[in-house]
Amino acid sequence: MASKTIRRMISIGLLLIMVIIFSISSDVFLNFGNIANLLKDSAYLGLIAIGMAFVIIGGGVDLSAGGMACLVGILCVRMSTMGLNGFLIVLAGVILGMLCGFINALFVTRVKLTEFVATLALGFVYSGLTLIFAFRDDRGTITSVAIPKWSSLRAFAGNVGGIFYITIVWIVVAVIAYIVLTRTTFGLHTYSIGSHAKSAQMSGVNNDRIKMLGYIICGACVGLAVVLQASLLGSSPLNIGSGYEFQAIAACVVGGVVLGGGKGDPISALVGALFFKTLMNGLYKFGLATSWEYILQGGIIVVATVFDAVFNRATSKRLLARAQ
Amino acid sequence: MEDRTDKTYEGAGGAENGNQNDTVNTEANDGVFLEAKGIYKQFSGVTVLEDADFSVNCGEVHALMGENGAGKSTLIKIITGVYTKDAGELYVEGKSVEIHNRQDARNLGIQVIYQELSLIPALTVTENIFLGAETAKHGWMDKKAMRERVQSLIEHYGFDLDPDAVVDTMGMAKRQMAEILKALAFKAKLIIMDEPTSSLSAAESEKLFETIDGLRNRGAGILYISHRLDEVYRLSDRLTVMRDGKIVGVLKKGEIDPHTVTTMMIGRDVAGDEDKGATKRYEDHWLEVKNLSYSHMLKDVNFTAYGGEILGIGGLVGSGRTELIRCIYGAAKRSGGTIMLDGKPVSRSIRRNIRNGFGYVPEDRHAEGLVPLLNVEKNITIASYDKLSSASLVNRRKEIAWADKAIKDYDIRPPMRTLAAGSLSGGNQQKTILGRWLSRDLRLLLLDEPTVGVDVGVKMDLYRLLREFADNGAIVVMVSSDLAELVYLSDRVLVMRDGRFFEEFTRGNITQESLLLAASGVHTEEGMSL
Repeated sequence: MASKTIRRMISIGLLLIMVIIFSISSDVFLNFGNIANLLKDSAYLGLIAIGMAFVIIGGGVDLSAGGMACLVGILCVRMSTMGLNGFLIVLAGVILGMLCGFINALFVTRVKLTEFVATLALGFVYSGLTLIFAFRDDRGTITSVAIPKWSSLRAFAGNVGGIFYITIVWIVVAVIAYIVLTRTTFGLHTYSIGSHAKSAQMSGVNNDRIKMLGYIICGACVGLAVVLQASLLGSSPLNIGSGYEFQAIAACVVGGVVLGGGKGDPISALVGALFFKTLMNGLYKFGLATSWEYILQGGIIVVATVFDAVFNRATSKRLLARAQ
Repeated sequence: MEDRTDKTYEGAGGAENGNQNDTVNTEANDGVFLEAKGIYKQFSGVTVLEDADFSVNCGEVHALMGENGAGKSTLIKIITGVYTKDAGELYVEGKSVEIHNRQDARNLGIQVIYQELSLIPALTVTENIFLGAETAKHGWMDKKAMRERVQSLIEHYGFDLDPDAVVDTMGMAKRQMAEILKALAFKAKLIIMDEPTSSLSAAESEKLFETIDGLRNRGAGILYISHRLDEVYRLSDRLTVMRDGKIVGVLKKGEIDPHTVTTMMIGRDVAGDEDKGATKRYEDHWLEVKNLSYSHMLKDVNFTAYGGEILGIGGLVGSGRTELIRCIYGAAKRSGGTIMLDGKPVSRSIRRNIRNGFGYVPEDRHAEGLVPLLNVEKNITIASYDKLSSASLVNRRKEIAWADKAIKDYDIRPPMRTLAAGSLSGGNQQKTILGRWLSRDLRLLLLDEPTVGVDVGVKMDLYRLLREFADNGAIVVMVSSDLAELVYLSDRVLVMRDGRFFEEFTRGNITQESLLLAASGVHTEEGMSL
């Protein structure tokens, strides 16, 4: 069996074990309402994680995703107060995200900053812009403004038979992303630059173009995620995206997208996001304090990374032995 | 080829004979340092080492040769404690020993100089040597003591090294010296070198050989692993040849000749391999380079290569040969001159050139050729998505068929599409990269050191593939440091020196001696015989 498949089965297996444990130990975990809510919560993080997966697989990282989400979120709420059609706002959110991604990519490919520095810096810029675009009262104090009741953006908070739109969008995006990464030339080039940029370039891969597309796709996912989340929340709090860049990276890592590039896929990111949110949801039912949530998250990242290192070493040993 | 090869080795050996007579002094420290008896090793049911008897003396350069997979690395890894043997005995200086890990080996005085050097580039020679074993005085590093220790080692062994030089400012040869010095600092009695010259130029290699001669004279045992017969011939007192996990034989100096060694290594006679007649030239397909220059590395280079022809580019490392083909491919941006293929100008973009039927096998496959995490299939198809996809959607069935065909055509082993390319042996990695290009309808193939680190058997396969490929009408331009390779394969050889063409040789006049002389700046006189 391919090591990829084994890794996938392990993360899904752990997820299932967790679900079983929570279902047995808590009578409020396994009911339709809770699961639908869990999937809704996972979808916001999950969408960002899918975007993040494109960048990480290509050998990069996008630390601006959180700031970007805040900025796009506030701009979308502003558009809704101006009476723009909901569909157009969602579209605008995606386009704004793509624009941010494009700017990230420009700093990486043209200014030649390292991806870490470029996206870190731009993340701050996006956060700053969020404050500039934030709603203020007469005295200039930042206030929270809700999406107007009459705005058609609110319609995106709906559900089909209890499953929220955002969940459906998430799954659809994951499947499309999976196909794009595994079946298109762009996808395969993404893996190759993440695995070994120089060799890829010598084989005719346009590294800069692939990097740029990766960031733009990441931006699109972030934009889509935040506009749907804002619609669900009825507003876009200033911290709507804060910390989500790291949570998304964490989801990728836990799902099997290796930092440094070349390994994993969007389904890994999907499973990773689901894993985290399920854990939090289940533990919440146990009444665990928030502090423990963070500590557990940290612990899981460490365990997942150590596991991957050991697992990859074991796999390559196995392959080598077979090759000999 | 047999004939020509013999001549070089005699030539190369002859040049060094004077040197060696002065230095070889094995009698003085004649003693067996390491002895292995009946070593046996299995990996998941496959026997990789069988009944291996082997020994290295003090004050001896002992070469170890064998094709990839012959068991050389396994043997070395057992000696150095990376693997543990399944059966057999190891003796160091007559005493039976068990080596469980690297530390055990180090404590017994066995040190390895790795192909990929282990020095930290940002630190000085002294800091590197004492890394992890710093001499401290009351918790403070005693820099002075460390420096003095290194200085005295340098003087003792007569190395040309500065203890305060920062490693990343040093050339590869000096780095290797520092690496050796590090081994010596830890009282190494047996130094194992694995392909030490693979990243050195000819002059640097010669320096290394002198260093090795010096170590031998001071009683150190050297175990020298190499694919290069000329080096082994130049250096070794004894040579052990391995094949299929067994020791095939041990040759003493004087018994070592290329033909015997090659035959022992591949287990059959290679003499019949090299009947080459005149090759057909396709005049309607040509690559024309005019007044090509590239910063200070290339000056006014002019040549024309034709379809059906293998054009060899000789010269020393740094003579501009690598830059020349990188400029043609678009990997380096030429600063002047024109390059035309069939009368049409050649682009400066790699992608456009690939679409026009260019292929490039880089000098360092790890740095620029292989995508190690991706599997063999993707490594082959990566340059051919123009043919394997429509509207940027990849046709999986076509892709798999394409890769399977290449694996079969170019005999990539093990023949597994899904194996990570990084886990293949060097020779098969090279076949994979070659397969990437040959599976396309190439018009021009550019090769830089196509057989570095590749064993003899695979080398012959590669030569056959390249010859067939050229015979089908493609242009092949091949840079190589391997003189035997240039002689064997090229229809013409252009020798470069200081960024210019120095001399041209055509089939019939190409000999290793004349190539070597031209590379070092001596024109071969008409009718001069060597």
